[in-house]
Amino acid sequence: MAIIRVDHVDKSFPTRHGTISIMQDIAFEVKDADFLAIVGPSGCGKSTLLRLIQGLDRPTSGAIYFRDQKVEAVAQGMAMVFQNFALFPWLTVSENVAFGLEALGWESDRIASHVERYISVTGLDGFEEAYPREISGGMRQRVGLARALAVEPAVLLMDEPFSALDALTAEGLREEVLQLWRDPNLPPEAVILVTHNIEEAIQLADRVVVLSRRPGHVLAEVPVDLPRPRDRKSGPFYELTDRVYSLITEGGVPPPPPGSSSPSAS
Amino acid sequence: MATTYPKCNPTEMLGLLVLLNDHKGSEDVARLADDLDLEIDEIFPALEYAELLQFVRVTDGRATFTDLGRKLVAASIRERKSIVREQLRRTPLFRTILRALEANPEHRLTDEEFGHIIAFTTARTDGAEQNIVNWGRYADLFRYDADSHLICPARHPAYRKGAGGRSPPSSPGAESPGESRAPAPTPESSRGPGSAVAVV
Repeated sequence: MAIIRVDHVDKSFPTRHGTISIMQDIAFEVKDADFLAIVGPSGCGKSTLLRLIQGLDRPTSGAIYFRDQKVEAVAQGMAMVFQNFALFPWLTVSENVAFGLEALGWESDRIASHVERYISVTGLDGFEEAYPREISGGMRQRVGLARALAVEPAVLLMDEPFSALDALTAEGLREEVLQLWRDPNLPPEAVILVTHNIEEAIQLADRVVVLSRRPGHVLAEVPVDLPRPRDRKSGPFYELTDRVYSLITEGGVPPPPPGSSSPSAS
Repeated sequence: MATTYPKCNPTEMLGLLVLLNDHKGSEDVARLADDLDLEIDEIFPALEYAELLQFVRVTDGRATFTDLGRKLVAASIRERKSIVREQLRRTPLFRTILRALEANPEHRLTDEEFGHIIAFTTARTDGAEQNIVNWGRYADLFRYDADSHLICPARHPAYRKGAGGRSPPSSPGAESPGESRAPAPTPESSRGPGSAVAVV
């Protein structure tokens, strides 16, 4: 079943100089238990698309469906993790994790037990009283993750979540996100990851939606059928990276290799 | 062997071990760095920490998992903290910190006392304190209260305040309500077979 359906979505913004079309005719589905990555050049609208999916903004035309219900406002059942963590610096780790639950109006006992659980599953035990300024970028992003998971979303939205982190930290956190996603006893069911890092997309996702430059449209959906953990230096991995990269740089379907009879785009 | 406590935090070390696991548990250090488009010296701190905690062995420029390192990577996010705790407890620096916490009648250390321990044990004075605090927190070896600037013993995992409230620092010798954790384990009890860490 498609937990998220993006149904021919256009998005444009009015400006003083006329309307700017950010994306056109975006259509794809996210199934239960999918790990979907969305990649594309800067400005192609991938972050905007995530906001539309969550309901923070509305499409200019077309619609987005969450469990077959049209998304018209910020949808319960989804939560976002941000590139720059978006933590409140004056709140402790516990207080930051609790924040989304307090916004939902839960009572404090229920909040406390959820905070404890999700601090624990994300490895933040021991940091409850710490302030964001005291902890590393990797730890801050764990807080962002704990905060998102604490509301027990069916869909976890991630907007360049590892881009502000050093390479080693990002490597570690990617693996942790996979661990959490794969755990059947934990949220979320599906993950939608927006990233400019093609290798990261192929390392993590079941499928990669490749967007063109602005106005963004879907160039291809590239399935990644490799077993995890994936070896970045392997032939099949490299071929997939190369394919996605070609799609993006050429902005369209690359010509099929000589002698092949099938089109290259999926 | 490493006796330094390099500028590396737990997440970076874990990232290196995940990377090594991607390379089937054994790889030239240069190739590891290259995989992430890093220079070799950028992964050295994480590698040194991993050696210090006995998760990898480095010989002839090649890093290889120990059995413990393999176990760490196969473990869940939560289990990894326990494994790191056991290894960290055995290092001279953390043994000293835990001993000092134990010996102090109020079971706490000021920033200054903490800084002294670090300076004496590691000969580093370059602001290593925050990093060491975060290793201690990560491994649940001790806590740090940034408001009162005090290192305190680790808290029992079952104890949690309601979100949004902060409790004042514990009064001398008293346990907070609901806290049932035994005092930090004495260093001697953590010695087991194979726990020898090279000492200066």
